[in-house]
Amino acid sequence: MNLLNRRTLLKTAGTAAASNMAAVNVLSQPALADELAKQGKHVILLWLAGGASQFETWDPKPGRLTGGPFAKLQTTVPGIEISELLPKMSTRLDQTAILRSLNTKIADHGQGYFLMDRGRVPEPGIQFPHLGAILSHELGQMDSKVPDYVSMYTSTEGRRQGSAGFLGARYNPMFLTEKMIPEDIQRLESLSEVDHQDRAALRDFLAKRFVRELKDASVGSHENAYQRVRGLMASDHLFDIEREPQAMRDHYGPTQFGQQCLIARRLVEAGVPFVKVARAWWDSHGQNFETHRELCADLDHCMSALLDDLKQRGMLESTLVITLGEFGRTPKINGSLGRDHFANAWSCTLSGCGVRGGTVHGKTDPDGQTVVEGEMNAGDLFATIFAALGIPHDKEYMVGSRPIPIADFGSEPCNEVLA
Amino acid sequence: MRFLLCLKIFLVLATGHLSAADLVDVPQLAVLIDRHLDERMKAEGIKAAEGIDDEAFLRRVTLDLAGRIPTVAERQAYLDQPDSDRTARRETLVQRLLSSPDFPYHSRNQLDILLLLRDARDDAWREYLLEAARDNRGWDRIFREVFLPEDTLSEDLRPVSFIKQRLNDLDALTNESSVKWLGVNIGCAKCHDHPLVDDWTQDHYYGMTAFFKRTYRTKKGFLSERFEGLPKYTDIYGDEQQPGLMFLTGAKVEVPPLAQVGDELKKIQEDIKKAERDDKAADPPRPDFRPRAKFVELALTDHEKHFFSRNLVNRIWARLLGRGLVHPLDQMHSQNKPSHPALLDDLAADVQASGYDMKRLVQAIVLTRAYARSLRLARSSESNRPELFAVSMARPLSPRQLSLSFRIAAANPEKLTGLVGNDTWGEQRDELEKQSEKTARLLTIPDDGFQVPVTEALWFSNNPLIQNDLLSGSNDRLVGYLKGMDSDTEALTAAFLAVLSRQPAEEESTMIQHYLSERGDRREEGMKQVVWALLATPEFRFNH
Repeated sequence: MNLLNRRTLLKTAGTAAASNMAAVNVLSQPALADELAKQGKHVILLWLAGGASQFETWDPKPGRLTGGPFAKLQTTVPGIEISELLPKMSTRLDQTAILRSLNTKIADHGQGYFLMDRGRVPEPGIQFPHLGAILSHELGQMDSKVPDYVSMYTSTEGRRQGSAGFLGARYNPMFLTEKMIPEDIQRLESLSEVDHQDRAALRDFLAKRFVRELKDASVGSHENAYQRVRGLMASDHLFDIEREPQAMRDHYGPTQFGQQCLIARRLVEAGVPFVKVARAWWDSHGQNFETHRELCADLDHCMSALLDDLKQRGMLESTLVITLGEFGRTPKINGSLGRDHFANAWSCTLSGCGVRGGTVHGKTDPDGQTVVEGEMNAGDLFATIFAALGIPHDKEYMVGSRPIPIADFGSEPCNEVLA
Repeated sequence: MRFLLCLKIFLVLATGHLSAADLVDVPQLAVLIDRHLDERMKAEGIKAAEGIDDEAFLRRVTLDLAGRIPTVAERQAYLDQPDSDRTARRETLVQRLLSSPDFPYHSRNQLDILLLLRDARDDAWREYLLEAARDNRGWDRIFREVFLPEDTLSEDLRPVSFIKQRLNDLDALTNESSVKWLGVNIGCAKCHDHPLVDDWTQDHYYGMTAFFKRTYRTKKGFLSERFEGLPKYTDIYGDEQQPGLMFLTGAKVEVPPLAQVGDELKKIQEDIKKAERDDKAADPPRPDFRPRAKFVELALTDHEKHFFSRNLVNRIWARLLGRGLVHPLDQMHSQNKPSHPALLDDLAADVQASGYDMKRLVQAIVLTRAYARSLRLARSSESNRPELFAVSMARPLSPRQLSLSFRIAAANPEKLTGLVGNDTWGEQRDELEKQSEKTARLLTIPDDGFQVPVTEALWFSNNPLIQNDLLSGSNDRLVGYLKGMDSDTEALTAAFLAVLSRQPAEEESTMIQHYLSERGDRREEGMKQVVWALLATPEFRFNH
């Protein structure tokens, strides 16, 4: 990864923007145009851990043996119907695309998580990065004063996962697990603000002597990490929703998911390129319908609140909201009124940045057993996400001498849902 | 005279047929290594960087052999030596570190990273590695014990971890066995012949899986092999292929016809199933034909490509010099030539003839001039070409090295003297090893092109453990020791010696005096901040 080169590009682009004549020339160079296209873009991933049912969300089949007890709802977009469990979303699909044709085959939590978080199956001898690491690498800035990958995970599987793999530890996430604020981001009370700052300045002074004339990327990353400390600490207020007006907090609601969605909005507003908010307990092997009645209400409310808020702030055009889990749930309803793991025909949504809203892509058969139209795999979904953000889906990373395309080999973006 | 001797060594090494009796002295091996490197630098018109001074050498080599920074007492003792010859002084130091209690701990920690990657917290496995390191056990013997633990007479279960950890994933077991022990990543050839490297075909990949496919583990914890099972795959033309057992070199192993058939075979299969589930079940019979044993045999008798010995040399070389002779370390193939082919051949032949003596190889490398070069280029106009080893590289400390070094730097230097005047260092070192465990597990294991994560800087800046434990003002900590000193100059010098193993430069001294004088009313706090700043420098974070 040539970070230096990337930085130079950004700088050059910045300079060029100051003079209109120059800007035109710069934009005619595709590499620089790509850089500019990606700037200021953000992603919020709403992760439905455990696997939400497509029947009770985006692909209802009422009246069929597999359909379950809930009705479907005509949305404000003519021709699009979703589950009655998502009434608020039914009036907010204008900037959302529903993908109903995921066939990702893997219906095991661990492997499904791997696949849907990395966009490819594991391969011996290579550590693939997570979506968050890829996007913070692509959308973030080297010396950013805010975190570039925040992952909120408070329960169930996948906790504390999120390695940047071959992209390097620079792009590892900052986790929020026990508390609503990342670890070690706040100053200890035993050290005053002034001393903390002076101490850092003394460190910089001592470090400079060693770093001088040393062109070593690893040593450089050490300095970069320490340079970012104070900026990141100054961003601690971003995690404090008390700073939001009461009306805004009410808008997102009192649930943990709602509060985390609000934090996510505060983070992207401050320039954080990638935030993942996980909502757990979707793994409804028993009592699927009761579970979904409860969880869909939370999802429906929080997702709507987030989209409304982003839209009102004019941020939805530059923020992509992805609602996704590791797989969907079986058409068959089991003896405990549950649905089991199912990855052959399920759904997810993309909203906002780069997305053609009010669209549905793909189709499943009347019972939701198979995809009959517009089949997509995990690689295709990733390619679509990258394309929506202005990142060429066939861009390659060099790992040693081996080129690794950013979206898996042979995947294609779904142009139908792209703006 | 010396030249002639070297020439003879060179000729012996070049033929590739060495016996233990032909082995040269270690210092001569070091000379031979430098000769190879000098030759290429000369051909390329590159000037080597300056050599480092004794102070810098002590820190570098102590980190590499003992896995920690030197103590203040060790530094003093080393620099206080009467005007002996510098080379002799360094040879004695290296000898001393190699026979210290520290060396096996550090070797163990490095092997643990290489073979398990700390994925599992496995005390028995770590104890086994420590024991092997203490015996300076040959790499070939460790290889046998790890891959064929069922062959050791005592049925020692500890080395089983390498395989156990990967047993439910044949691809990982195959590829990581190949990557870590043979320097070859064949993962790329799983789905198609390697697109860029002609050496590796799908037959190689599946042929290698055949050595491990039959391996299973009983509930009691023993490894064994089934009587049947060979890999099949469908190639890109849709044809089914059965490569049989095939090693990286292309060497194939004939599978003998199975004596057990019909009900007898069925019975064995059932017994195996039982033993996998039930720790009270009888041990199933073991087959005469054991593919995993064939893998070990082929790796150790590969006289054509020498993957096994070359990988060992390359990995130890990279550990000490920051980069392999073949780089990256898992890319040993015809299209990725070594930077110094003859050198790699010579060292591989030497290590093989020495009985895969890792200590000997380590010793030879740290005694070279190449090991003791400065980080700065000889001429600023010189382009940095790392494959020439004309200049040293800053190497990030491993989690263990860093965690132990934090403990040593932050200790009261009078209470932690290391190898100097200390009969109980072995016990103290064991204690430090345990104390550093928790911190080590928080830190990232450096990989190729390592980047320090920002979470590490945040942790070191704001975690209570740093402020309250490492920087505590108690009597057994450096801060406690410093606060008892009357003069700031004396205290800041002591802090530099303890943390960075060197004297402060004038500008540093001036700056810190100023810093402390501003905090005259809270001197202990000032000391804490100075020690923190020193510990948070890249000069501390890296081996250089």
